[in-house]
Amino acid sequence: MAPLLEISDLHTEIRLRQGVVHAVDGVSLQVEHGETLGIVGESGCGKTMTALSIMNLLPTGGHITGGSITLAGTEISGLSDDALRNVRGNEIGMVFQDPLTSLNPTMTVGKQISEAVLLHREVSKEQAMDRAAEVLDLVGLPRVRERINEYPHQFSGGMRQRVMIAMALACEPKLLIADEPTTALDVTIQKQILELIDDLRRRLGMAVILVTHDLGVIAGRADRVAVMYAGKIAETTDTGTLFANPRHPYTEALFHALPDKAAATRQRLYSIPGLPPDLTHPPTGCRFAARCRYATDRCREEEPTLRGETVQHEFACFYPVGAAERAGAAVAASEPVTYASALPPDTSGETLLRVQKLVKDFPVTKGVVLQRRVGWVSAVADVSFEIRRGETFGLVGESGCGKTTIGRLVVGLDTPTAGAINFEGKDLAKVSGRQYRRDRRKIQFMFQDSYSSLDPRMRAGTILREPLAVQGMGSKAEQQKRISEMLDHVGLPQTAVDRYPHEFSGGQRQRLGFARALMLSPDLIVADEPVSALDVSIQAQVLNLMRDLQRELGLTYLFISHDLAVVRYLSTRIGVMYLGKLVEVGPADEVYLTPAHPYTRGLIDSAPTPDPHAERAKVDAGVRGELPSAIHPPSGCRFRTRCPRVQAICAEVEPPMTPFPGEGHLAACHFPMEIPVGAPARAPAA
Amino acid sequence: MIGYLIRRILQMLIVLFFVTVFTLFLVHLFPGGPIRALLGPRATVEQVAYFNKLYGFDQPFYVQYGKWVWQLLHGNLGYSPKLNQTVTGLIAQDLPKTIVLVGLGTLVSLVFGIPLGMYQAVKRYTVSDYVLTGISFLGYATPTFFFALLLVEWFAVDSHIFPPFAPQGSSVGQVLSQPRALVLPVIAYAFLLYALWSRYMRSSVMDNLVQDYVRTARAKGASERRVLWGHIFRNSLTAIVTLLGLSLPTLVAGAIFIEVVFNYPGMGLAFYNAALNVDYQTLLGFTVLATLATIVGNLLADVSYAVLDPRVRYT
Amino acid sequence: MTIMGPGAESQLSQFGVLTEAPPAEGEGGVLTATKPRSALRRGWEVFAENRLALVGVGVVVFMVLFCFVGPLIYRTNQINTNLQLATCRPGGAHLLGCDEVGYDQLGRLMVGGQTSLEVGIAAALVAVLFGTLYGAVSGFAGGFIDSFLMRIVDAGLSIPYIMVVIILSVIFHPSPIIMIFLIAAFYWLGVARLVRGETLTLRTREYVQAVKVIGGRDIRAVVRHVVPNAIGTIVVQATFAVADSILILAGLGFLGVGVQPPATDWGSMLSNGLTYMQGGNYWWLIYPPGILIIVTCIAINFIGDALRDAFETRLQRR
Repeated sequence: MAPLLEISDLHTEIRLRQGVVHAVDGVSLQVEHGETLGIVGESGCGKTMTALSIMNLLPTGGHITGGSITLAGTEISGLSDDALRNVRGNEIGMVFQDPLTSLNPTMTVGKQISEAVLLHREVSKEQAMDRAAEVLDLVGLPRVRERINEYPHQFSGGMRQRVMIAMALACEPKLLIADEPTTALDVTIQKQILELIDDLRRRLGMAVILVTHDLGVIAGRADRVAVMYAGKIAETTDTGTLFANPRHPYTEALFHALPDKAAATRQRLYSIPGLPPDLTHPPTGCRFAARCRYATDRCREEEPTLRGETVQHEFACFYPVGAAERAGAAVAASEPVTYASALPPDTSGETLLRVQKLVKDFPVTKGVVLQRRVGWVSAVADVSFEIRRGETFGLVGESGCGKTTIGRLVVGLDTPTAGAINFEGKDLAKVSGRQYRRDRRKIQFMFQDSYSSLDPRMRAGTILREPLAVQGMGSKAEQQKRISEMLDHVGLPQTAVDRYPHEFSGGQRQRLGFARALMLSPDLIVADEPVSALDVSIQAQVLNLMRDLQRELGLTYLFISHDLAVVRYLSTRIGVMYLGKLVEVGPADEVYLTPAHPYTRGLIDSAPTPDPHAERAKVDAGVRGELPSAIHPPSGCRFRTRCPRVQAICAEVEPPMTPFPGEGHLAACHFPMEIPVGAPARAPAA
Repeated sequence: MIGYLIRRILQMLIVLFFVTVFTLFLVHLFPGGPIRALLGPRATVEQVAYFNKLYGFDQPFYVQYGKWVWQLLHGNLGYSPKLNQTVTGLIAQDLPKTIVLVGLGTLVSLVFGIPLGMYQAVKRYTVSDYVLTGISFLGYATPTFFFALLLVEWFAVDSHIFPPFAPQGSSVGQVLSQPRALVLPVIAYAFLLYALWSRYMRSSVMDNLVQDYVRTARAKGASERRVLWGHIFRNSLTAIVTLLGLSLPTLVAGAIFIEVVFNYPGMGLAFYNAALNVDYQTLLGFTVLATLATIVGNLLADVSYAVLDPRVRYT
Repeated sequence: MTIMGPGAESQLSQFGVLTEAPPAEGEGGVLTATKPRSALRRGWEVFAENRLALVGVGVVVFMVLFCFVGPLIYRTNQINTNLQLATCRPGGAHLLGCDEVGYDQLGRLMVGGQTSLEVGIAAALVAVLFGTLYGAVSGFAGGFIDSFLMRIVDAGLSIPYIMVVIILSVIFHPSPIIMIFLIAAFYWLGVARLVRGETLTLRTREYVQAVKVIGGRDIRAVVRHVVPNAIGTIVVQATFAVADSILILAGLGFLGVGVQPPATDWGSMLSNGLTYMQGGNYWWLIYPPGILIIVTCIAINFIGDALRDAFETRLQRR
């Protein structure tokens, strides 16, 4: 049967002030009826531009300059805008990344969806609204009749994305293009949305193009995959084969950079050196050659075409994985292990940081003009944990769980409403003034967004000097010396001192932020989502750096992230938070492999892993429902509204932290998944 | 919403208090006191003393203030000896005429400014955009009175198409019965406003055109026209309505220059004359009225913003 | 996903399309070898790209020369009136004719221009300086102090500016110096509100908060981080303030309550045009002052717009 969508040798350019970017440079793809094609790649690879080119929704300055796109046999790439409008929303539907900005804020949800219907069907307004209600019901929106007249901002992120999907499906298109549909959502909601898309695909007999940077999502949802790099397709095959037998060195390198695979052994991640090429002047030869371990001169001069031994598996490389004549050393999957265990042996057991019954409430003001207090957000509710010297404590949870707030409290950016933070035995709240500012030296912070945490008007050298200047440490010469020392530590060149933050790449800025945190020789570094905004290959670099420096300088980390794989890879111990509460804490492997709390289990199940078989097996797992309000959190156990094991007692009594097998493994649940220490074996609730 | 309104009204009262105190204080700044300034340099000391006593200027400040506020609350804005009229009467006579001028002028400016601004955004960076931008710049940089002067020079003095002075008369009816005389003043008033609206619409529409929700609308199959009028127009208009609320005070004071050039018998001209003649009661009354208009206008602007933008209304 | 202003480049950064060669990554990688350019230089480059801005600068320079150097070249008597020459036509000794009391018109334009420019620039400076200080203190202090200070600003802004300025002018019969403070007296309120808003925004920026983490005090955060980053807005505001001040002064002069003779400004010169319009074609009394005002203000607007662009792109990802 002929494919539903066929893209042949597509070329898309974007005209900018400083030149022309060849965003898509000769891409060919097919999508069969009813299948999910995944397009995966890092930022700048052209996957989004490819998706936008299909319906010609390119940004200002973008044009398709070559190739053809046919939908069910009809050519659509050269169509006039009028003709293309028949396709958009009608035969092809599209869902975008950020549902908040992608919906018109001043139009009700129902009106926006019925607009889609009215544009393509000869029906009355009432009929269109009925159809809107129908399709909102289809995507699982509760209480449709009530909510159909509400505005986008009144919905949660996951609900908004359902609305977007409903809008895209209103006219029952044959193809759905989803451009990073879940990247802006929490992991547990992400799973729900991806499941929804899958479910709808089967029910409506649609095909889906899923564009994402997340290999785990691809593993779980795509039937076939195309890996893109620098505007071209590097490899394409079905999902199982891709993960089991990658042929292109880029794909192979990507897998080696993922913390998921290295988590169990905690080996050093492979980090791909360099950066993707500049697409205003694409290089001759293979685009990956500059960063490839196996590149030869031939790779740099001649461009490999996409071909394969079987039609089902194509790749563009002269020396694919498994080929006989490979240059370069036979590099192992990961670098040789120099330390078998996760972390340095100097975990002397001394407690460095102790957080006791920490509480933080934020006042809520309503409205833009009103600004009056209507309640309190319980951001952190009675959290206690300890961090020992030399270890990495990973704090993991979804949005609104309070992990970032805890990080800020520890570092002094906010003051707790109640509770104590003890550092090296001293209660920080009791220290003030100059002594406080000096004690601050020992706890430093790495911000999530390096771009907004570095003063854009200061040069890197000045930024690095500032901590020393504030604390009055060292003479000018000594400070200079320390700055160059630190730049060496983090792998930045000495010329960096004169540069401004915007002149660095994302990964380099993160290193700069890291260097700044190290300037005062702290004992504890609180890192708030330090790698979340980075591509996989850059992420690997920064993670390796953090580990190396931890050994070298004897650092302790409080590592905050929503990404379980990264947390598990880096941490000795993990704490799981939900809606302001610490629900489980314990050694990383224990928590990950034998979670006691249902939420932890749900979190682990929801997080996409790059293993197709494991992903398909997770069919019914995950966490259902939506995050409750933090202003009025559920009584008793805060997780009870979404818990599969919930009983009456969960609403009345807040579960205490009970110990489980494993050192320091605690969880707060009345009906945990594992058997607590000292409890008789009992059958878990159904 | 009710609680909010009450809070705002309380704030308004505080502001009114500050402003009225300040204005009264201002009046006292006239050299020799307001009475001397009013009577002129040839008044004798006895005359000044007499009127000081008569109008209560020999009392301490807070007593004067109290009496004045008491008067105000009874709707008595004072009396203008120069014009032999109560200030309230003066306002009742002149305010409607200024409203006619300002109202028409605003209408004209909106009728041209909004569509042309949108047109400029759609046709951005083309010749017509640059030409219209140039016209807007002229609107900003040309003093209103100069523009008014030019209009009179070109269309009245030189070519006699329109009369050089505005319609005269003490009632709105008389003013409206001479439409030809209204044309130039209205155009003169509208020019600056036009520049503001069209600049605003242009930048607002341009900002909106690159927003994600516009791309979604296109992805649904909406035509460019539908995107512009069905989506962007509504979102840009919200702020214009708010800005309109903020321009309420111009009903009292905004048209001073136009009225002076064209000798239009409205509030602006009356205020100007009062200033020159040191008719302090009129000055006080007008200032208080204008302040009130500003405060009410701000309130209307905030309320309309809250009502029109669903993000604020349903938070 | 944030939208960073109009323009294709900023859209594309959302899609992660690489549009310039970023510095190379990796252990011991080398940053591009171009010489580091200071922030000032980069800002200048953006500014210089804008041709209108260059025209604006040129015009302003010309005006300054015209008004201040002109009289040294084209000498006229601006002190003694000569009613015999009143409203003489252009030509001969008087290139642009004479005004209604016999002063040479062209010379008068220069003198008037001096006043307009001096008062305009000085009033703008005073208003912006005071307003910035006030707004920054208010914004950074926060809490009750902020509320109180802003209430005063709100009250002041409730009185229509033109009304209060006219009243003040009538009271004080100002000389140019007094005019400066008169115009600034209420203009600073708007600046204060703007700067306070900017300060509030900047306070929440992470790089300002980072100062606390390294043990720095609030003062340091304000002086080293908030002020330098707010300067852009302030400078742009100051530029437009000059144009506004010139227009206000002209307006007051036109109404006859501006600077008093023998001092004059372009607006005062125009007020005579009104009286003379009916009786004949006295174009040299009307057009020259008006055109000079317009041209100067447009030029300043060009400069202000270009400065705004220059500061914005510097802070954005390039």
